[in-house]
Amino acid sequence: MSAEIVVMVVGSGLLILGAFIIATAAIGLVKLPDLYTRASAVGTAAGLGITVIIVGVVVLDFSVLNLVKGLIAIAAQLLTSAVGSFALARAGYMTGSHPAPTTVPDELAESATHDAQLAQNARRDVGDHSAGS
Amino acid sequence: MIPDIVTAVVVGLLAIAIVLAVAGVVRARTAGDAVVAGDLFFFAFIGFVAVFGLIFSIEAVIDVILVATVLGFLSVLSLARLLQGGQR
Repeated sequence: MSAEIVVMVVGSGLLILGAFIIATAAIGLVKLPDLYTRASAVGTAAGLGITVIIVGVVVLDFSVLNLVKGLIAIAAQLLTSAVGSFALARAGYMTGSHPAPTTVPDELAESATHDAQLAQNARRDVGDHSAGS
Repeated sequence: MIPDIVTAVVVGLLAIAIVLAVAGVVRARTAGDAVVAGDLFFFAFIGFVAVFGLIFSIEAVIDVILVATVLGFLSVLSLARLLQGGQR
């Protein structure tokens, strides 16, 4: 009897925690300034929220088969949500979605201009070389 | 199996998330913002499936969640690919 109560309390707490984490991701979607911070909020917080909800479902509806399926689902969720939001942020950068003005180290832009400068220097070197010989 | 108050709190929180996600899709200025909001909608919907599967004691709920987590990843990847017009 008391074991059932413990299972019910723990499972219910996990369900509420997961739903709260997903609601936090939704608030971040509204409040954050640009695509990259939004993708970060949704990718990490919603991935963790689904993980906690899966643990709650397994606790409330326990069997060995459910435990195995739940572990596979948690592994898939933790691996894929980060990769998905990374691909999304990268696609947004490639299609010219501007970061918020408060973004200070913009390493992708710096490396892009750096590469362009390197290519320009290489072209100039080749030209000098052919002109000299 | 789970108390009604827990069901109400969980469904309420997930409903807030879904409403904000739909508002994010509607208000999105760029396509990337719409895809992020749609991603959040999908996660909140998985939460709904889990909770209602527990309430109505459907046995296949963990299978549905397992398939949904794997396939939602593919949808986000294909939408990200579509944003770039099929290029990498």
